[in-house]
Amino acid sequence: MDEVRIRGAIKAGAIGGAALIFIGLVGMLTNFEGLNLVGDELNLGLVLILAPVLVAAVSASRPRVVAGELRSPATVQSLVAGAASGAIAGAAVAAAAGIVEILGIERVRPVFVSVSEELLDIVLFGRAWATGSLILIAILSVTGAVAATGSTTPARIRRPLVVALSSVLAMALLHRIVPTILLELGLDPTWLYSRVTLGLTWVGAIVVFVVAAATSIAWSERRRFARGTRQTTGVPDTRKLTRTLLLLAIFVVLLALPQLVGSVISEVLGAAAIFVLLGLGLNIVVGYAGLLDLGYVAFFAVGAYFTALLTGADIIAVLGTAEPAFSLNLSFYAAIPIVVMIAAFVGLLIGAPVLRLRGDYLAIVTLGFGEIARVLVTSEWLKPAVGGAQGLRDVTSAPLFGFTFRRPQNFYYLVLAFCLLAVYVSSRLANSRVGRAWNAMREDEQVADAMGISTVRYKLLAFAIGGAVGSLGGALFVVRLGTVQPGSFEILVSITALAAIILGGIGSVPGVVVGALVLVGLPGLLAPFEEFRLLIYGAVLVAIMILRPQGIVPNVRRSRELKEEELAQDEWARERLGVEPQAAAVAVAGGKLGVEEGKEG
Amino acid sequence: VAQTTARAGGLRRVERLPVRRIILVTLAIVVVAGVAVGSWRTLTLPEGQRFAVGAWRDFVVLGIAQGGVFALIALGYSLVYGILRMINFAHGEVFMFGAYASFFFADAYAKSGFLDRQPVLALTILFLVGIIASSTVAVLLERIAYRPLRNAPRLVPLITAIGASLFLQNAAAGLFGPQTRGYPKPDILRGGFEVLGIRASRVAVLVIVAATLGTIALTLFVYRTKTGKSMRAVAEDKDIAALMGINVDRAIVTTFILGGILAGVAGVLFAITFEFARFDMGFTPGIAAFTAAVLGGIGSISGAVLGGLLLGLLQAVGPPLLLRGIDVPSPFQLKDVVTFTVLVLVLIFRPGGILGSGEAEKV
Repeated sequence: MDEVRIRGAIKAGAIGGAALIFIGLVGMLTNFEGLNLVGDELNLGLVLILAPVLVAAVSASRPRVVAGELRSPATVQSLVAGAASGAIAGAAVAAAAGIVEILGIERVRPVFVSVSEELLDIVLFGRAWATGSLILIAILSVTGAVAATGSTTPARIRRPLVVALSSVLAMALLHRIVPTILLELGLDPTWLYSRVTLGLTWVGAIVVFVVAAATSIAWSERRRFARGTRQTTGVPDTRKLTRTLLLLAIFVVLLALPQLVGSVISEVLGAAAIFVLLGLGLNIVVGYAGLLDLGYVAFFAVGAYFTALLTGADIIAVLGTAEPAFSLNLSFYAAIPIVVMIAAFVGLLIGAPVLRLRGDYLAIVTLGFGEIARVLVTSEWLKPAVGGAQGLRDVTSAPLFGFTFRRPQNFYYLVLAFCLLAVYVSSRLANSRVGRAWNAMREDEQVADAMGISTVRYKLLAFAIGGAVGSLGGALFVVRLGTVQPGSFEILVSITALAAIILGGIGSVPGVVVGALVLVGLPGLLAPFEEFRLLIYGAVLVAIMILRPQGIVPNVRRSRELKEEELAQDEWARERLGVEPQAAAVAVAGGKLGVEEGKEG
Repeated sequence: VAQTTARAGGLRRVERLPVRRIILVTLAIVVVAGVAVGSWRTLTLPEGQRFAVGAWRDFVVLGIAQGGVFALIALGYSLVYGILRMINFAHGEVFMFGAYASFFFADAYAKSGFLDRQPVLALTILFLVGIIASSTVAVLLERIAYRPLRNAPRLVPLITAIGASLFLQNAAAGLFGPQTRGYPKPDILRGGFEVLGIRASRVAVLVIVAATLGTIALTLFVYRTKTGKSMRAVAEDKDIAALMGINVDRAIVTTFILGGILAGVAGVLFAITFEFARFDMGFTPGIAAFTAAVLGGIGSISGAVLGGLLLGLLQAVGPPLLLRGIDVPSPFQLKDVVTFTVLVLVLIFRPGGILGSGEAEKV
């Protein structure tokens, strides 16, 4: 066991311990303890105690560069390293618990509000400090050792195990959706989910584990098989067919979903779908054109307020309601095109003065615009027009042939239609001439400009289109609620949409959809998560940027761009093209555009 | 093909330049006209509705005191921007942690009576606690969130900083609770002085003194010590500084510590002035201070201070001066609109800031 590895294990253990103490103090352990995963023995709180140690142990036992070469540790070494880091993390937590015991809970509580008997019971497993700490250290060391074997087990065994465990976790977390669907389909969910603990039953967990593991093994075998035969058979054809079938299946599921999951979950889905829409709109500005817009909430507000005003909403006044200074009584479908045009115009207005700004400055200025929007709608000054801090009520429920969309299950279809439209528009835009111009502009504005792309026009276009899509989100948001509450137009809307596209993958349409569903839908389904939503968003933004800047479902071109540092690109240019980086960039961009120009002209 | 593209590009350039200029000139005219009309109408309001001269003096003093806090925070933004060319979006949260940490001590001292028995000693401890907490958070932030991304494309660290800001804010909400905590004010800081007919509260005087001392100390540190010299070298060029034997990591950490110290001082001052501490108290002052840094010229110490004072004045004097006359009810509600409008205008018309060196192409 070399010195580097010992130091690594100690460090990983200390970091794991610190993370665990943080998770406890911030209130996650106590909150998540009530969420049973399997039986009533395994709850999310327990998983959360083990998680930092798992990560720490894996990182302590991962292959390291020793004397210039990558060396995997021997099994014993990695076991010891993992166990040591687990033990150190456990000791740190035990020490923290000891400090709390000595000071007394009532003296720590005024500072750290989450410290309670309950929290101590969780980390010390309901025992007195001495025995509890020993149990904690023992459990964490074992977890560390088990996790550490991960880096020495071959991938063939490791992958199915990981897949199976995460499937069990996922199924357990979806305890509000899956049983409802099963019931709706006329199947009996009681063998899978317990009615008492709400989580999986042990039998159910084992079934899920086995099925997932088997599927994973079958999948990798099939892949190996497919790799061997790809050259001889016409794989592309079948691929296309599979893709069409898959899209069709997704569409059918999307249509059937609200009927299967019931109104509570439809509500969550509707809320998440609004963020899908916002994410898609923001993705056009940030992902395609590379303009970091933090004031996206301004468009959300424009969509919300103008929809409300154009469809005849009333101001909430002290005595009942009042007529706003400006209002029309259009139907929702007549109002939407007007709202979209107004939002596009606002996009131009916001875009025009900031054309020269780039990167971080642009971000801050747009943040400013977002805040201005928020302050204005709540101010006394604009109260006669938009209702001030009280807001508006009686927003249309968008009736269509006598069918209203206020009910969550109905609203879902309305928002789904707009989402599909936005998905279609975004994916068509991505590969259009406009999309390529945005790409070029994002990658190097000066070069794009030099190549004859009117950066002014395309930037304004991005702001206008992005704004228009965002305003749809706002319009649907108020249809869903029936009221306009100025408190909803916070900077957090922008940041949530940003987090969704970052998590999913900047510039990737499926990524944005996945990101928004995960970030907004999941906390909505899991009540204990709701409280830590923003904390998790923050952590997600940081973690994704550091560990996987291309997101979960990456956009190919974008990920290439993010992975390679600019320096590496310059190096490449010098080596391959034998020119200085600036000239090379011009040459490369010129070549690309020249080809495209030629094709179309 | 290449030729046509080039010619088309040239033509378009000629066509589109005036558009941009027309937008800018129109904007400038609108702003100047708005300011002129607003202040003219406020100043010529009938006798009963007009603000008395004394009221304006109070606004100015308030503005300078506010500006002092902004200046201290703005220095942190400026230092980090100068050395890493990134906006440390989470600096407002660094400030908040300083204020919050000192709150716990202040609260305990107020309950035990120590705060009023030994006010000077107690205040010193409060400032030390704020400084330690803020600089610890700043160092952790740099180590965990920013260091791995030092050579990444520019938007990456910015998004990370936004995430870190959100994380820290909500971590504070989780750790210390979401409620507003009343920050005790020692008796020694109640009341005010009257010098040459100008009334100033003691807190305002303390803020102004602290901001002045902080700026002087920082200037001396950056320009007179060896560490300061290494920081300047790293700000100039990281790679060459490293070749010259300067420990780049250490210089950057020092920068974050300095920013943290100033933010800690500002946090305690802010909390004492407004008598509260809350998890989201860092957001608005943070943005305002960033605006101040940009206004004065980001990257320069004197710029941050000048920008801070100017913005403080603008926020205190601007709303009543510009908006009262044109019948806007409760003008101070729109204080932040003033901040952001100033920010947008500065970035449009003078991106380098007042004292900046016209770094337009870097914007």
